Amino acid sequence: MDLFLHALSLALTPLAIGSIGLGALVGLIFGSTPGLTFTVALALALPMTFSMDPVPAMGLLMGTYIGGMTGGSVSAILLGIPGTPSAAATVLDGHPMTKQGEASIALGTAVIVSVFGGIFSLAVMIVSVDLVSQVAIGFGPAEIFALVLFGMSTICGLCGDSLLKGLIAGVLGLMIMTIGIDTIEGVPRMTFGSVNMLQGVNLLVAMIGVFAVPFVIEALSEKTNTSAQDTRVVRVKVELPKIGLLIRNAWLMIRCSVLGTGIGAIPGTGGAIASFLAYDHAKRFSKEPERFGKGNIEGVIAPETANNAVTGGTLIPLLSLGIPGDPATAIVLAGLMIHGITPGPALFMNHASEVYGIYVAVVLAYIWVLSFQMVGIRIFVHVLKIPRETLAFAVLVLCAIGAYSIRNSAFDIYAMGVIGVLAYLLIAMRVPITPIILGMVLGPTLENEFRTAMMLSSGNADIFYTSPTVLIFFALALLVIGLQLKSEFMRKTKRQQQ
Amino acid sequence: MANRMQDIVLGATLAVLAVIWTGLVIDTIPRGFGDGEIGARAFPLIFGIILLVLAVLLLGRLILNSEPDVRTEYDVSADAELPQPGGVKWMPAVLLLAEIALYGFLLEKIGFVLATPVIVLLIMLLNLRVRSIPKLASMSLGLTVSCWVIFEKLLGIYLANGTWINIG
Repeated sequence: MDLFLHALSLALTPLAIGSIGLGALVGLIFGSTPGLTFTVALALALPMTFSMDPVPAMGLLMGTYIGGMTGGSVSAILLGIPGTPSAAATVLDGHPMTKQGEASIALGTAVIVSVFGGIFSLAVMIVSVDLVSQVAIGFGPAEIFALVLFGMSTICGLCGDSLLKGLIAGVLGLMIMTIGIDTIEGVPRMTFGSVNMLQGVNLLVAMIGVFAVPFVIEALSEKTNTSAQDTRVVRVKVELPKIGLLIRNAWLMIRCSVLGTGIGAIPGTGGAIASFLAYDHAKRFSKEPERFGKGNIEGVIAPETANNAVTGGTLIPLLSLGIPGDPATAIVLAGLMIHGITPGPALFMNHASEVYGIYVAVVLAYIWVLSFQMVGIRIFVHVLKIPRETLAFAVLVLCAIGAYSIRNSAFDIYAMGVIGVLAYLLIAMRVPITPIILGMVLGPTLENEFRTAMMLSSGNADIFYTSPTVLIFFALALLVIGLQLKSEFMRKTKRQQQ
Repeated sequence: MANRMQDIVLGATLAVLAVIWTGLVIDTIPRGFGDGEIGARAFPLIFGIILLVLAVLLLGRLILNSEPDVRTEYDVSADAELPQPGGVKWMPAVLLLAEIALYGFLLEKIGFVLATPVIVLLIMLLNLRVRSIPKLASMSLGLTVSCWVIFEKLLGIYLANGTWINIG
């Protein structure tokens, strides 16, 4: 009890509360701007923490991380352009809700379930940090490959009307991400001798291109296309989600929180995988799967709960083993070490008050995020009143800033343009673009983990059928594909009967 | 029928792309070092072959299936408001690609502060055919100044400085 009171006294100082709030606000701004990731925000925030005490310093970093993770949904829902890769799955139903005049409900629900997912995962982390870290550390390259392959199998559920075209889109996404220097052998791949191509296609740049450029092309050509006026959002009402909606979906939120926490605890995975798996899970177990992709609130709840539950999950290997799950948590780890808090088994013996103080800071960060978003929703939705062609300029400039700032390279702006126009053409040919994103998100991990696993086993493929975890994920992947093929077959039969 | 033609073009283009990709992979990426080693070539090669198979399947399905395309609805969720079937707007797409390329070039040469109003003006003049000078001036300067203040001054994001001209 003394320990807890001491932690509270560390986390509830005006400086700590203020720095957590500042971090949450900056994270929200960076997260909601396509291309400006919260990893960049964390990198900018890190030097500000040097002169602070550990808890306010970590509060600033955790606030930025949590604000950024939550902020990705704002542009995903309002504009159909995800602010972060973790919010890519939220576009699928969040943006259709905006088109139906329900932007504020989608935004409100997204933030509430994000807070739920985040705090749920924190609670899980506190009670099970040792157990979960032991399970998570057992995930070697083969297990992560199998998990990612299972994630890839969800492409089948994102294919729209044509499974074949969805698979083509997924493969195109995988191919894009192989361009550039090979991270294992250092061999250039499909670079055509260009130095710029060596750095490859950045995931965020490609994502901005795929989502933003087709939007800009359509918006800028609307003046001469009167039929497109029908698709405009004309209703902008501010209405927050009702408590009944959340209670009805409580079980889904809990399931997705568990999924997100579990995925987050596995280093090398992350929010994007968790949100796509949660989306697919929600669709499969929904009473109205046919409404997914058309503005089903469950399609917002599932990915947003899961991607925020990842935040607590990533803290498990970070605090207990000192293993960061992604670049953002690597910066958090750097922040911990700068302040003399060395993660590992001795952490809870040497710095128990600080660690509990950080837990309190995480809760405070979610309270700040909830407050900012609930006030912000009333402002954000007015973005929809801006004429689409005017919005298109702003989106284009913001996306260019985002693409450029990732590596300070004009090449990324060219890549954004080329990928965006190709995505536009593919959409016009009825190729679904979400599998492209999934391919791009999972592709590098899929390849690197497979090759690492093969290297560790000296080229022996036994590693993929001797581990029970690997077999479970393979079986799950087969099950998902089988179920999808069955539903495709049934849909075709139904069509023929009609 | 238009959908069917479009799918044939798509299938043929992807098949050609897959063949070129696979050829380039074999030609330019070396094999793995050891016998059991999965080298840098393996995955791009596998993806190229899978794309070829899928493109051929798409074409084969279209050739063998003589019945008209029954897909009347296009349901790929978030993409639904984007290009409507058969409605590729080539001119705006090509124009925007050229403008984005020019923006990238100008950012490096004259910096964000000068490149942004130039591009916004260009888009307004060419894509939207706006001729009102107050509108042109307010949009281009307003957007540039607000982005510069928010991102460079408040958030500390590096916005490009020009190598030819640098005004901040």
